[in-house]
Amino acid sequence: MRYIYHLIVLYLTGHLIWSLVREKKFWKQAGIAMVLIMFLLRLFLIE
Amino acid sequence: MKAMLFLGLTLAISLLASREFLSMHRPDEIFPSQGLTASRMLSDYFPALKSTPGDTPVYVYEGKERGGHILILGGTHPNEPAGYITAILLAENIRVAKGKIIVIPWANASGFTHSDPQEGSPQRFDIKTISGRRWFKLGSRVTNPVHQWPDPTIYVNPMGQKLAGVEARNLNRAYPGKAHGNLTEKVAFGIMKLIKEEAIDLGIDLHESAPEYPVINAIVFHENSADLAALAQMELQAKGYEFRLEGSPPNLRGLSHREWGDEAKIKAILMETPNASHGRLKGKPSISLIVDGQDKYYERASRLGRLFVPFGPEGIPLKSRVGRHLAGLNAILKSLTELEPEKLVEVENMPDAAEVQARGIGASLR
Repeated sequence: MRYIYHLIVLYLTGHLIWSLVREKKFWKQAGIAMVLIMFLLRLFLIE
Repeated sequence: MKAMLFLGLTLAISLLASREFLSMHRPDEIFPSQGLTASRMLSDYFPALKSTPGDTPVYVYEGKERGGHILILGGTHPNEPAGYITAILLAENIRVAKGKIIVIPWANASGFTHSDPQEGSPQRFDIKTISGRRWFKLGSRVTNPVHQWPDPTIYVNPMGQKLAGVEARNLNRAYPGKAHGNLTEKVAFGIMKLIKEEAIDLGIDLHESAPEYPVINAIVFHENSADLAALAQMELQAKGYEFRLEGSPPNLRGLSHREWGDEAKIKAILMETPNASHGRLKGKPSISLIVDGQDKYYERASRLGRLFVPFGPEGIPLKSRVGRHLAGLNAILKSLTELEPEKLVEVENMPDAAEVQARGIGASLR
């Protein structure tokens, strides 16, 4: 179960990083970065 | 280039946040008194807990003469500080001349490694002691989901009671525990094993609850402990402490005051003090709310008659709540001796409730 969770979070984290790189607008990038922090913490199971 | 800057910033903030979160995994310090006769871990009673986040220290204070065996539990709910601060206070002060007292200050050790999400609670609070400021963690009511996940939709506890999924991580719904259950059930099972192996006569579980919750300033007792609870209540009333008596509901399963009595046949008591930082009506969560216990919203609720305890501008500080627990413990031990003289537990250097309330908790801490 834990591996499935990691895979889902890793997949979404990858998408977020990809969006951050492709996005040109400053505030949208800032928004993505904020969400990315939480996904990174989740990815490493830091609670 | 801008994206790389954002990525770098994200990593830096994540690292800083990680440090904060991971600091909760370091256990708080404790300095047991010279009366300590044995320092164990819960895994010594139930080896399956060894090297798991559920393992927790057990402090044994045994007298030279025989007497009653008492178990005192703090930190069943790590967001109820008066419970575990009272347990720490005992562990750092008492000497037992007759009988045996076992103290578990952080019963749900995993719950101390995180805080309740979306509550904005501080991770720690400080108490001024003679050697300076000492910090204590404020955890969550339940086991860390990193240690026990996922929650079921409906949790069926070891006694078959159906509860909300999150209760699967609530130690006080998991008794008598399960040897092969989830982490919380294993902790409960370990405590039950300790109760049986140490031939405990009386178990006392120290809690706190919100001022708007009816079971407050209360002694909750198993029916086998009704005489003990009633006698202790009279003793407390004589000393000016108002405690209400609440019988453990026979149909509410999985709680310490029910299953310790039913399964292990020991006298079982749970005590509750009022904690504003715990409630739904509180204002901004802060260290001051935990330690000083003042809150204008609770004050207003009290004026409107919505609370089950009086709540004035002076609030209900932690020292008063810990003092209440100490007074309750004293009265229960005294009443136990009156009812069953062979179960006498003679404790020296027990922190005095009035003194803690007058001089503060720090005066009795190292």
